[in-house]
Parts: sequence; structure tokens; C-alpha cells
Amino acid sequence: MATGMIALVIGLALLSPGCGKGGDERIRITIWHQDRIDVRVILQRQIERFMALHPEVKVEQLFKETEELRSGFIIAALAGQGPEIVYGPSDQIGPFETMNIILPLEGLFEKQWLERYDPRALTWYRGHLYQVADKLGNHLTLVYNKKLVPVPPTTDQELIDIGKTLTADLNGDGRIDRYGLAWNYTEPFFFIPFMTGFGGWIMDDSGQPTLDSRGTVDGLEFIKQIRDVHKIIPNEADYNIADILFKDGNAGMIINGDWSWAGYLKAGIDIGVAPLPKITKTGLWCGTMVSPKGFSINVNVAENKKRWVLELIRFLMSEENQLEATKELFTMPTLSSVQQSDFVRENEILRNSQIAIDHGRPMPVVPELRAIWDSMRPSYQAVLAGTQTAEQAAREMQALALRRIVEMNE
Amino acid sequence: MGRKNNTKALRVTLSYAVLIVFSLVALFPVLQIFTISLRPADRLLSTSLEIIPKNASFNNYVALFTERPFLLWLVNSTFVALVVTFTGVVLASTCGYAFSRYNFFAKKLGLLSLLVTQMFPATMLLLPMYIMLVNLHLINTYLGIVIMYSATALPFCIWQMKGYYDTIPTSLEEAATIDGCNQFEAFFKIILPLAAPALVITALFSFMAAWTEYVVAAQILQDTEMWTLPIGLKSFESNMGSEWGLYGAASVIVTIPVVILFLSLSRWLVSGLTLGSVKG
Amino acid sequence: MNSKTLRHRLYVFLLVVPAFIVLFGVVVYPFFYNVVISLSNMNLRHIRDWKIVGFDQYVKVFTEPSQPDFYMVFVKTIIWTVVNLFFHVLVGVFLALVLNQKEIKGKALFRAILVLPWAVPQLIVALTWRGMFNYEYGSINLILTQWFGLPGVQWLKQPFEAFVAVIITNVWLGFPFMMVIALGALQSIPHELYEAADIDGASWFHKLKNITIPLIRPVMVPAITLGTIWTFNNLNIVWLVSNAGEPSDQTHLLVSFVYKAAFNFYRYGYGAALSIVIFFILLAFSLTFMRRSKATENVYT
Repeated sequence: MATGMIALVIGLALLSPGCGKGGDERIRITIWHQDRIDVRVILQRQIERFMALHPEVKVEQLFKETEELRSGFIIAALAGQGPEIVYGPSDQIGPFETMNIILPLEGLFEKQWLERYDPRALTWYRGHLYQVADKLGNHLTLVYNKKLVPVPPTTDQELIDIGKTLTADLNGDGRIDRYGLAWNYTEPFFFIPFMTGFGGWIMDDSGQPTLDSRGTVDGLEFIKQIRDVHKIIPNEADYNIADILFKDGNAGMIINGDWSWAGYLKAGIDIGVAPLPKITKTGLWCGTMVSPKGFSINVNVAENKKRWVLELIRFLMSEENQLEATKELFTMPTLSSVQQSDFVRENEILRNSQIAIDHGRPMPVVPELRAIWDSMRPSYQAVLAGTQTAEQAAREMQALALRRIVEMNE
Repeated sequence: MGRKNNTKALRVTLSYAVLIVFSLVALFPVLQIFTISLRPADRLLSTSLEIIPKNASFNNYVALFTERPFLLWLVNSTFVALVVTFTGVVLASTCGYAFSRYNFFAKKLGLLSLLVTQMFPATMLLLPMYIMLVNLHLINTYLGIVIMYSATALPFCIWQMKGYYDTIPTSLEEAATIDGCNQFEAFFKIILPLAAPALVITALFSFMAAWTEYVVAAQILQDTEMWTLPIGLKSFESNMGSEWGLYGAASVIVTIPVVILFLSLSRWLVSGLTLGSVKG
Repeated sequence: MNSKTLRHRLYVFLLVVPAFIVLFGVVVYPFFYNVVISLSNMNLRHIRDWKIVGFDQYVKVFTEPSQPDFYMVFVKTIIWTVVNLFFHVLVGVFLALVLNQKEIKGKALFRAILVLPWAVPQLIVALTWRGMFNYEYGSINLILTQWFGLPGVQWLKQPFEAFVAVIITNVWLGFPFMMVIALGALQSIPHELYEAADIDGASWFHKLKNITIPLIRPVMVPAITLGTIWTFNNLNIVWLVSNAGEPSDQTHLLVSFVYKAAFNFYRYGYGAALSIVIFFILLAFSLTFMRRSKATENVYT
């Protein structure tokens, strides 16, 4: 009887996946991505328009969180499967190319079509084109609460001054209730702008880390200063803390990326977006990493699907679709004609976003970037905790990064 | 006599005190999740300690059902969890019985191997698991998931059941067979009811394994229509900018079936065994 | 007699084999895959064309200078496991004993509340705890300073405090499981044993030591053994509460290395070797523990 029951259970389980999938003769194309919900909604709309135009194709989108998108795609592709299209930031390209799981694209798209796009949207790596992007950005900007900060700072000194006037203990209980500036400063990605502002950068053109530099040291010192000397940032702030402080009006400014603006608007904050300030000592603008977000094609894609995959990508990157996304999300488009459109030119947020992007530097695509992030974090946090000096930290980061890169490539 | 009553009263009062303190400790973080679900604009944290936040609303709960396929995820998860629970209870109760009552070749090895299946860090199992499931055409099927979940939950459940069966004297089955039952009837009618508490644990554990598991489900289920609750919840999360309001509301709802299951099963968490049953 | 033994054997076969087929099917292939990979050089540069290179990866696991230090993390993992299990079992059994008394009313309500930490989705609860440990805004420090007048603790910024914080979170998450097991285990003890002890005038301590504890052992031992193994390998909580190892990569378990190696650095060969090492550590523990607690034998015979 027990075995009878087992048979029943297995029978039930077998039944369920079997039915339903058969009978759909359309060509299936799947896109995997890591987009948040507002972007997904727009993507779905655009996909449906595509399917209406081409009834013989069925397009599906699947969301995966960033880290899992990368590892999930790697696992699936290595096993000979996976989605036809994978959409994400450009730093995915490095590992994907090294593992040979994405296709070179320069032979698949016509040159004249490619030329209509901002060159920063086309990610070339080791001689081949691997990603075509419809959005440019992923960059950090200075987001300010217009009620508290009517005019944003343009230099580091102005930033400190405004910060000082805002940081206050409003109800006299001995605890600071409002900070001038709050942001996820303990995370290396959010520290990069100050490294570049002081003249440093994470790697040279050959992919070797350049963490042990004056720029790194000065950048680290600066962060310590604004926390300990000028006291305009909270003692401990991760992404969520900074976010909540800003949303509650308890921080005048926050450093955050283009993905966050819509959330703040929804929370009712009258925000302004400004490029990060200029460092007076060096005369350089703080520049963040800029990364395109785009489409890559799985090496396992079936021959008969290829034509539709290309058709779909061209469709999603077309003028009307880019304009739609830009208007609703405030992301920077990549089609030159849209970049120069009235909407982009006249929208305050996008104008400033454009400037911030121009001050920035492209995010490296090499797989070793991960080793660098991982090596920066411990020393960086040690400096913040006071257990290491900035010079020591810079040296250690560099040494650790070099070692990790060797380990990765053995 | 009076002193005995006093110590008893003291014991009972202290017991209530302990239970209340631990209940508060258990409840506090969970209440915060409830608060998150009520707060507007996706705030994970707050600078105030209030349980009912400013501008609290049930919008997130409504949005779960109207703007997301939460109901679909709920149905999918319930199906998978019930199948896994059923398989788990059936297989663990029978397998555990064998380990408890019979001595057979490689018994100790068998028990040890149950443990062994749990020792390997899950991270490195993903790639070979995926390859294996691809070759068996089990990707994107519920059968694949049910098999994986049963495989993870069974070792503990089998071992559990065996341990519980061990506390039931074999003299009971002997008495039953003398009375005319065959081995199977003895198992089903006498032993199994006595092992009810262990069955409760097996059922609950199997259910939880399937209800809350994320990593394997995310790797196997490629179709949004097949998503289970954990994958659905993950979709509210982004690297930066998660929809905490929805996540909180979903977490509250997801917890409720587990608590209900536990409460309904716990009426079987009673002692059924008395030494007297052998004599009669 | 012979047909009876045959039917006997058949029952055993039918009962045990299906479960084991599934178990081994699911576990054995991945395990051997990892054994092979651990002897290879599979990584970013050799993802499809990897070849067997012998024990290189194992040598690396034990001798490669790592940040944080391998042996320190190993020790930390052991401390993590022991402390967690100790409190899980202590609190779980204690609450089960309290809850099991017949004079307690409202058992259902208490059970429902006390099972919540196990029932609630882990991700959001771990992040909520992380928020509670924040120095300025977290509830824990707020309670410490406002109700008890103690200074706030820098939970997440100092290595020791961070370690304590993740342990606290995991203890909170884990005690309901042990409590439920213990509740089940307590049901297996016949009332007459207690009544006989009462007649003999035994104290509660005596009853606990000589009746309760020995008799819940068969049921608790599987939970404790497996609990130890699961806790040893439990990456989730440590990762989420410490935000992937903060401060300064100090808050890690051995499995964090596996995760980082495989997911961040694509060093699959190294990850596999380390996993196998962890496996053998746990195997050694289980064998010793099982032998000492005689877990495979019957208690009543």
C-alpha cells in the first residue's frame, strides 16, 4: 500500500509539468535580465508590441538578481542551455567571453546600424563586439533634496560647507538627527568617484591594478575627514540606512545612481540631480564608473532563431522604444538621435545626468575587476575603522589585488 | 501540603514569565517586518521604534495580488510543498521503520550515508546538479524540484523517524502479531499512531524545506509561470532599490500557512505511549 | 519460516530502496563530479578545457596565504557551530519542557509565536536584524541606551562584536527547530516513569537527569548531528547580517571561501577541493559523535 501511494505521488508530479507546454508552435526567445520592476514593466510592453508585429515569435523575459544572473547564465550556458539573450551591465562580458559563452556581434549587425549609436554603448573586448546597449549609465550622481539644499555644491569645499549647515541635532537629545550627506560610503563602488577626483583610478590600460596611488590615499583621507573632522556624514551607513535617511528628509544629499531617482520621487522628495563635485586641490571632477546596459547573445542559440533574436534586439533598441524608456525611467539612451532629442536636452535630471556621465570613466570589462573590488573592500574598511592608515591601505589593496588576479588566472 | 502548592504556583508563574519573555523576543523582529509592509515608499529601516508607522496602509498587500502574480506563486508553492510533504512522510515513516526494526546488511553504512548527503557545501553542487537535470530532462519541471527537495529533506526525516521508533518497544508488535495482525497491520495500526509526534516533525520539516527553498528552485525553474514563492519574493529584490514594502507584505503572508500547519499538526504532538498498552 | 524471512527481506527492500535510489541519484553524481574537478585546474582560463593536475588545489587550500587567514576562519567556524548548537539545544529543550507542563494554558498561542523565527523568510529577517544592530539607528542599541543606560555597542564595525551579532541572529533563528523536536521527543516518554519517580520522592533535577534527558536522546541526536552539519555550512545568515564579511572580511565561515572562490573568482577547482576538505572534516566529526552517542543503536534494548 505504501508503494501504491508512492506511485500515485510520483504520477501526480509527473503529470503536472507534462501538460500545457505542448502545442505552442511559435519560436521561443528568452531574455534574462536583472532589471528592477519599473524597467520590467516597460520591457514587457515593448515585448508585447514586438509579438504583435511578429505573431510567429514568443518572447519571454526572466528576472534574476545580478549575481545570480551571472552565475546562472554561466551554469546554463556551459551545460549547453540558457536564454537566447542575456541583458545586463557590461562587466558581465569579461567572464562570459573568457568562458566562450557569448557570440561576437560585429558580423551580425550592419555597420551603418551600429554607427547610429553612441560609441560608449558598444562594448568591444579583445577585438570583438560582445554587447550592444540601449541604456548608458549605472553612474553615481549627487542627489539632493531641493527643500534642504536649494543650490547643489559644485566643489568639495561647497559640499562640506553645505553639509555643515545642515548637520544638526534638531530636537536637542544629543544625537544628530539630520546629516548633510549620507551615502553607502563603505562600499568600494561608492568610493570610486573620490578616488578619481584626486587623480587615481583602479587599473591601467593593460588591466593591471593601480590602487597604490596618490589618488587612492587622498580619496581615503577625504572620506575620513568629512566623517571625523567635518562630521557631515553618519558614523555607520550602508545602502539601506542612507536611503532611509534621505527618504525621511534626514539627509540633505545622497550619492546614488540612476536606478534610485524614481524611488525618491515616489517617496515625495523634490529631488535634483547634479554631477559630483570638483576637487579643488586637483581641479578634477569626481568621476564615477559609467557602464552601458545591453544585450549579448548566447553561444548556444539555435540557428533558426538567430534571425529573430537580431530582429528583437534591433526593435528594442529602436528610437521609439528608447525614447519611451528614457521618458519613464530617466535613463540615458544610446541612440544618438534620442540623445540629442528635445526631451533629453530640456529635462533637468537628464541634462545633469549627461554631464555626470561625461565626467565619468567607462567601467572596465575584464573579469579581474571582481578581484579588484574584493581586494579593495577589507583595506578600505580598515581605514574607516581606524586600524590602518590610508597609505598602508593603498599598498595592501594593490598587493591583494595582484595576488588575487594571479590566483584567478592560474 | 501547603508548601507543595506554593512551589507549584511559583513554578507555574515562572513558567509563564519565561514564555512571555521568549515570545516577545521571538515576536519583535517579526513585528518589524510587519511594519515594513505597512510603510510607504519601500523603507527597510526606520529611525523610529514605532510599530504602526506614519501613513501606514495595506496598499502593499493589495498590490501583491493585483500587480504581481503572487497568487500564482502561492498556488505553485502549495502544490510543490504538499507533494514533498506527502512523499516525505510516506518514505521517511517506512524507511525509518526499516532502520529501526530490522537488522540488515549495511545498516550502519546506510544510516551514515544519510548524514553524508548533508555534508557537502551546497554551492559546489549547483553546476553538476544542473548538468544532471538537463540530461534527465528535468529542468523546468516540478518533478525535478520535488526530487531535489525530497533528497534534501529525507535524510533528516528518516533518521528522525528511526530515533522515534526506537523509543517504542518491539514488544508491542510482538503482542499485535500474537493477536493475529500481520506485520504490515502492526506497523500501520499500532506503531504509526504512536509515532505521531515524529510524523508531525517530518511533515513540518518537509513542508518547510519545499516552502522556503530558493537556490535550487531558481536554477531549475526557468518559466515565470512556474515560479514558487521564494523566487517570487526574490524578484522584489534588486541589488540596489528593493521593493521592501512588497517584500515585507509577502513575507507576512508566506509565514501564515507555516504557522497554521504547525498549529494544526501540533494536536498530534501528544504522548500516545503508555507502558500499560503491552499488558492489555 | 523460510517464506517469512523472505517476506521480511522483501519488506525491507521495498521500504528502503526507493528512498535511497533518489538520494544517491541526487547526491552521488554531483559529489563525484566535484571530486574530479577538485583534482583539476578548472577555473576562468580553463573552463572547458580543464585537465587533471593532481592535488594542486588541495595544496593551495592549506598553504595559500589568504585574506582572511584560512586557519583563523576554520577556528571561527568551529566556534560558530558549537556556540550556536549549544544555545539552540539549551533554549529549545528548555522551552519545550516549560511548554509541555500540563498546567500551562494557551499552549497554542505560545507555540505559534515561538515558531515564528523558523517560519519567517530568512532574507528579510536577516536584513531586519542587520538593521537592528546599527550603531545609531538600530533597536538593540536604542534599547541598551534608553532602557538600560548602557553605552551603545559598535556591533557591525568591530570584528568580535560582528561575530557576536551573527551568532545572536542565528540563535534566534534556530531555537524553534530544536524546540519542536524536543516537544516531539518529550511525547515519547511514558507518564508512568515520572509517576513512579514522584512516588519515590525524586527531585525535578533527578527526573530531568535520569528520565528526560536519556529518553529524548534518540530523537534529539539526529537533530543535533544534522544541526551541527547544517550550521557549519550555513552561509546565508553570516553573509546577510555582516553584508558579506564586514568589517574588513573578518566575519566569515569556511563556506564563505567556497562561495567567493566559485562565484566571484571562478576558481571552481579550488572551490571543489575546499568543499571536499569541509566534507571530510564533517565526516570525521559525525563518525566520532555517532560512536560516542551510540546513535545507531536502540535505547530501550
